[in-house]
Parts: sequence; C-alpha cells; structure tokens
Amino acid sequence: MLDNYLHILIFILVASLISIAPPILGSLLGPRRAYAEKDSPYECGFAAFENARMQFDVRYYLVAILFIVFDLEIAFLFPWAIVVKELGMAGFMAMFVFLGILVVGFIYEWKKGALEWE
Amino acid sequence: MGFEKLLFYIFAAVTLFAASMVITRRNPVLSALYLVMAFVSSAALWLLLEAEFLGIVLILVYVGAVMVLFLFVVMMLNIDVATLRARFIHYLPLGLIVAGIMVFDMFLVLGPADFGLDQFAKPQSQPADYNNTAALGQILYTTYLYQFEIAAVILLVAIVAAIRLTLRHRPETKYQDPSNQVRVRKGSDRVRLITMPAEPVPPSLTATLGATHTEMTE
Amino acid sequence: MPVEANSMIAILPEIVILTVACAVLVIDLYLPDERKDINHIVTIIGLATALGAISLIGSDKVTYAFDNSFIRDPLSDLLKGVILIVTLFTFVYSRDYMQQRQLWIGEYHVLILFAVLGMLIMVSANNFLTLYLGLELLALCLYALVAFDRDSKAGAEAAMKYFVLGALGSGMLLYGISMLYGASGGFFGFAQIADIAAAQGTDNQLLVFGLVFVLIGVAFKFGAVPFHMWLPDVYQGAPMPIVLFLSSAPKVAAFAMAVRILIEGLGGLQTDWGEILIILSVLSFVLGNVVAIAQTNIKRMLAYSTISHVGFIFLGLLAGTAAGYTAAMFYTVVYALMAAGAFGILVLLSTQGIEAEQLDDLKGLSERNGWLAAMMALIMFSMAGVPPAVGFMAKLLVLEAAVSVGLVWLAVLAVIFSIVGAFYYLRVIKLMYFDKPQLEQPLVIDGTATIAISINGLAILFLGLFPASLLQVCGVAFG
Repeated sequence: MLDNYLHILIFILVASLISIAPPILGSLLGPRRAYAEKDSPYECGFAAFENARMQFDVRYYLVAILFIVFDLEIAFLFPWAIVVKELGMAGFMAMFVFLGILVVGFIYEWKKGALEWE
Repeated sequence: MGFEKLLFYIFAAVTLFAASMVITRRNPVLSALYLVMAFVSSAALWLLLEAEFLGIVLILVYVGAVMVLFLFVVMMLNIDVATLRARFIHYLPLGLIVAGIMVFDMFLVLGPADFGLDQFAKPQSQPADYNNTAALGQILYTTYLYQFEIAAVILLVAIVAAIRLTLRHRPETKYQDPSNQVRVRKGSDRVRLITMPAEPVPPSLTATLGATHTEMTE
Repeated sequence: MPVEANSMIAILPEIVILTVACAVLVIDLYLPDERKDINHIVTIIGLATALGAISLIGSDKVTYAFDNSFIRDPLSDLLKGVILIVTLFTFVYSRDYMQQRQLWIGEYHVLILFAVLGMLIMVSANNFLTLYLGLELLALCLYALVAFDRDSKAGAEAAMKYFVLGALGSGMLLYGISMLYGASGGFFGFAQIADIAAAQGTDNQLLVFGLVFVLIGVAFKFGAVPFHMWLPDVYQGAPMPIVLFLSSAPKVAAFAMAVRILIEGLGGLQTDWGEILIILSVLSFVLGNVVAIAQTNIKRMLAYSTISHVGFIFLGLLAGTAAGYTAAMFYTVVYALMAAGAFGILVLLSTQGIEAEQLDDLKGLSERNGWLAAMMALIMFSMAGVPPAVGFMAKLLVLEAAVSVGLVWLAVLAVIFSIVGAFYYLRVIKLMYFDKPQLEQPLVIDGTATIAISINGLAILFLGLFPASLLQVCGVAFG
C-alpha cells in the first residue's frame, strides 16, 4: 500500500531541497556588512514607537474556530462518502443526524451574526 | 523492510527536532511554525503505519485549521516572553527533578522489557488496493455510531461556547452597503448641491468654533 | 449493523435532552428580550420529560446498546435521575440572579443542558471512548459556563485555570486509557479490560501503569487532594449559579466515572487502587477540613468543604465491598443535594444587587428571612454530620464500610477531622442566628424558589430520618 505514496515522498524530498537550499546558499554567498544604523528599525526618521507585531482582534479567533468546526465536519464526510452505498439507509441516517446537529449550530451562528464582519 | 525503517528514523528525528524547537523558541510565531513541521512529519509517521486517512486528516485539520487558530491566538495575546522566562528558570530545577523521576518510572514500565521490538510481531502490510479510508468508514458509522453523534454535539458546543465568549456586536461601526448603493435613484436619493449666499457668522458661534479648534490642536 | 429500536429507547433520556437543548438554542434566536422566560419553561419541561423517560425505561435488568458502547442499569438510572433533579434545582434557584445581571439568555440554558447531556453519557458509558467523549462534552460546557459573565475578570481567570488544569487532567486520563488499551491488547470496553485485569492482575505492569494515570484523571475531576488546586479558585471566580451547578451534578457524574473505571473496568486491581485511594482520601479530608477553617470567602470555604467530602466518598470506594460502594453512592447523592441547597441559598441571597460571597454576608440571616436561615442551618448540620440530618447517616455508612475491612485507623482519623470540620459549618449557623445583620431589610424571594429550597432542605431531613429507601436503591445498583 505504501508504494502508492512513493511519488509523494519524492515530492517531499524535492520540495525540501528547493526550500532549504536557497537560504543556505544565500547565507554562505551573500555579503554581510552590518552596522548599527543599518540594523536599526526605521520608521520615517523616528525611533520605533512600538513592536512591529500588532495585537489581532478577537474576531479572528471566532472565524478560525468556526472554520475548524466545519473543517472537522468535512473530515467526517470523507470516509462516509466512500462507503455510503454499502452502508445503505443506516449510514445515510447516521450522517443525516450528524449534519442535522451541526445545522442547528449553523443556524445559531448565522442568526447571531457571527458570520458578519461588522 | 530496510527502506521503511530508514524513513521512519528520518521522520521521527524530524518530529523530535521540531517538537524541541517548539518549546525552546523565544518567538511564539516560530514555535507555531515548528509545530506545523512536527505535525507534517507525524502525519508521515502515521502514513508509514498505513493509517493513511488519519495522516491526511492530521494535515487537513491540524495544519490547515488548528494552526491558523494557533497563529491568530498567538497574535492576539500580548505575551511578555521575558517575564515568562524568568518564572520558567525559577521553577526549572523542581520541574527537572519531577520530570526525571517520571522518565525513570516510565522507562521501567515502557522500556525494552515490555515494548521491545521482539515483543511485537510486525503487522502484515496491506495490498496496494487496500483502502484505509473505506475501512474506517465501515466501522465509524455503524459500530461507533453513538460516539460519532456525540462528536457532532461536541462540535455544536464548541460553536455555542466560542460565540458566547467572544462575539460582541459593535453598533457604532459604520459600513457601506453596496446593495443599497446601487439602488440609489437620480434625484431624491442623491446629494443635492445647492448654492447659498454666504451668511454672517453670529459671534456666539465663533466662540464655540474657536474652542473646538483649540481642543483639536491639543 | 442497523440501529435497533431497542438502542433508541435505551438512550431516550439523552435524546430528550439533546432535542431540548437544540430547541432552546433555536427558539432563543427568535425571542424578544422580555420573553426569555420561554427558554426557562422549555428547559424545565425538557428536564422533567427526561426524568419521566428514565422512570419509563428503568428496570432492574441491564440493557446494552450501540455495540456495547452504552449501558443502562439501576446505577445509571439513579445517577441520571439525581443529575436531572439537581439541574432542575439549579435553574429554579438561579432565575432571579441571572435575570438581574443580564445573563438570563438562551446560551445559559443550552450550555447547562449540554453539560447534563455529557454527564448522562458518562454515567451510561460502557467503554473508555464513550466515557471520555461524555467527559469532554461536560468539561467544554463547564469551561464556557465559568467564563459566562464575560465582563468579569475573575470569571475569565477562573475559566482559564479550570481549562488548563482540566485539560491536564483529561490528558492524564487519556494517557492512562491508551496504556490500558495497549495492555489489554486493543480493547477499551470495560468488560474486556475487566477480564484481562482479573486474569493477569499486577503481573501486567502496563495495566497498573495505566491504572495510575486513569486514577489521576478521576481524582482531577473529583478535585481530590493533591489534584484539587483548581477547585477553590474556580468556585471563587465563577458566577454563583454556575458554582451551584458545578459543585453538585458533575460530582455525581465523576462518581459514575469512578465506578465504571475502577469497579467495572479495573475491579481486578482493587487492592492497588484501594491503596492509592487511601492516600487521596486522607489528604482530602485532612486538607479540606483544616484549610476551610481559615476561609473568609464562603465560596472558597465550601470549595474546601467539597474537597473534604470527596475524601469521604473515596473512603467508601476504597473499602472495595458492595456495602462500601453503596455507602459511597449514598454519600455522593446526598452530597449533591446538600451542595445544591447550600449554593442555592447563596444564589438566593445574592439577588438584591449584592454578591453573598463573604461569610459576613450571612450575618443575621435569621432576622431577614427565618425560613431560609433554617434551611441553611439544616444543610450545615447535614454537612457537618449532625443527626438527624442525612449527612450523619452518610458519614456513618462510609465509616462502617471502612471499619468492616479493618481500616479502623482510617475511620478514626476521618471522625477526628469531621469534628474539626464541624467548626466551620457551625460558625455559619452562629453567624446566621447570633450576629447582627449588615443589611436590615428583610430578604424576599420568589415563591417557586422558596418551594424548591424547602423541598431540597426537607429532603435532607427526610432522608436522614428514613434513609432506607434511598439506601435500598443504591444497594440494588451494586447487586
């Protein structure tokens, strides 16, 4: 079974080669002449006011967690889609209830306005 | 088979390296990215166990969705790494002693005596047309039906809890509504420009305007 | 395997709770603010229906469903009933409190209902997977409920502590489960693990190793010393009605978890876990009772009191006899009622814009509302173990079980520390009856809550006078 994944292994090897080689080459070959002014952060001639990393709004978190929930739902759909014919009505009902419960959640988040970006 | 063993050691080494980088990096964003690396190499390990569906789900769900959440949360928090580190060093000796005892205990039980390679026969490898996903589906929706539906309820609770804890409406936000914008008709809905003769400003108003002006410059 | 009708009937209470929770979630979206009471009514009706469903399908026979994932037996019937009744009390007590703080919204009902669903699943779990899923469902709801008042910093902090430590506890449990899975050669059903534990016993080191981690997980969920750190902080930070819920129903579910894992799953290792439970039990009732004396915050005081009661519940379990298990179950049920009553009264006290968080807030309660003070006194007597309240009977049974297996020193120690503990319970009574109130105006509470608290308090008295019926039901559960 693992033979099926050989080309993915080759892909990973090539991809890591391509992504690792340039930075190494760059650091080996590139000239580095650093001095204090060059290294200092630059902000329109002022000293830097604050950290470059800005605090994100909590709304991003909400979007991400709602995404995860439905991502997981998709993960549950994959095996089902493959075997649904063999499982027949029982398998169909199993997924129907599963999706039904999540649809309640979907109605809730939609109506609450969690999908709006105010 | 020798080649699979080699692959296992490579991916296991990458996982361990990435995992130790996760807990030693100063910058939480870097930690999160190393975590991605750890997930990808553990997915490869699962694939070597012929659990292909789980390997792919690990990448789909953890790398695809959970890591996005991690990065958002990392960016959301204003962590002062320096103070955290000070406390960390302070508790390090105690932590090391406890961890050492735990590792020793675990080695006694989980060491080669119980978990050596000769204790477990190598499982038969599956034929090329074996479908792990289908095998999973065969039991997930029948034998584990009850647990499967409970999983749906847990996801539902996650939605409700997340919305309850973080969703706040902001009525003060102003935004454009394109569908209303395109419905604007010529005439009554549009801004009407009119010409008016200049009027003399009453003295009381000059005073207020002046006050506002000074406030603004402050 | 097609789903049989039997399976669906067996999980009728769970289906009812799930349906009601989903219904409230959707109905709430379409309710205007002033009609939120409809949520309350639907929830109460739902809980009552689930209670009805339990008595409808209840019998002495054991039913399995869903490929042995689910078990319905007298134990599950009784514990589910207690969980539902305690939840009913929670909703009735908390109505005014939540209304006055703008927290009387659909999510409150929904999260508690889902927590109840999680507990029902735990109580009826017949393998580790189901048990763990039920536990996580419960825990997820509880984390959110602790932070329910999202403008409260204390609530957020408490939820954070609860979440981190709770996740640690779950992690321990899961690690232990995976060890048991490995040790048994790929089983996670309680029955299969019981067979292997009986056959191999301590020869299988891995089994014992898994047991230790599973036990840590159980102790975490109970809040037994030394895994109690989260309890006082969470009690202090969470809104009062949530503490009311948190301190009562989940303890019943935790007891079910302990029974399923330790007795039904790992009964063959009873001598091993019995020894660990002795340590946990002694530490819990010693530390709980001693530290509670030093508290001025009544929520913290009751948190430490919870810890000491957990010590007593373990005392019954560690005896390893049917009488011991029955005593522990009796104690758990009684404790849930006492906790619901005690926190219920605090919730009712907190209505007029104040939070009854300090012991001083109870001063002179007898002058402000005599009946409420009487009920509180009754509950305190019961917690202290003064007859005729039922707490005395519960303690007596547990001690008897310990003595019967030759652990006399343990029983003596328990008695000494329950006398130490009596001090702080009696102090509450002294404050209510002999001190001047800080607020002069009489405390008026609404009729339904008064009736509920009367039922709750008088049940404690009644069970103390006539413990036989409940004791018999508990006994049936352990055959």
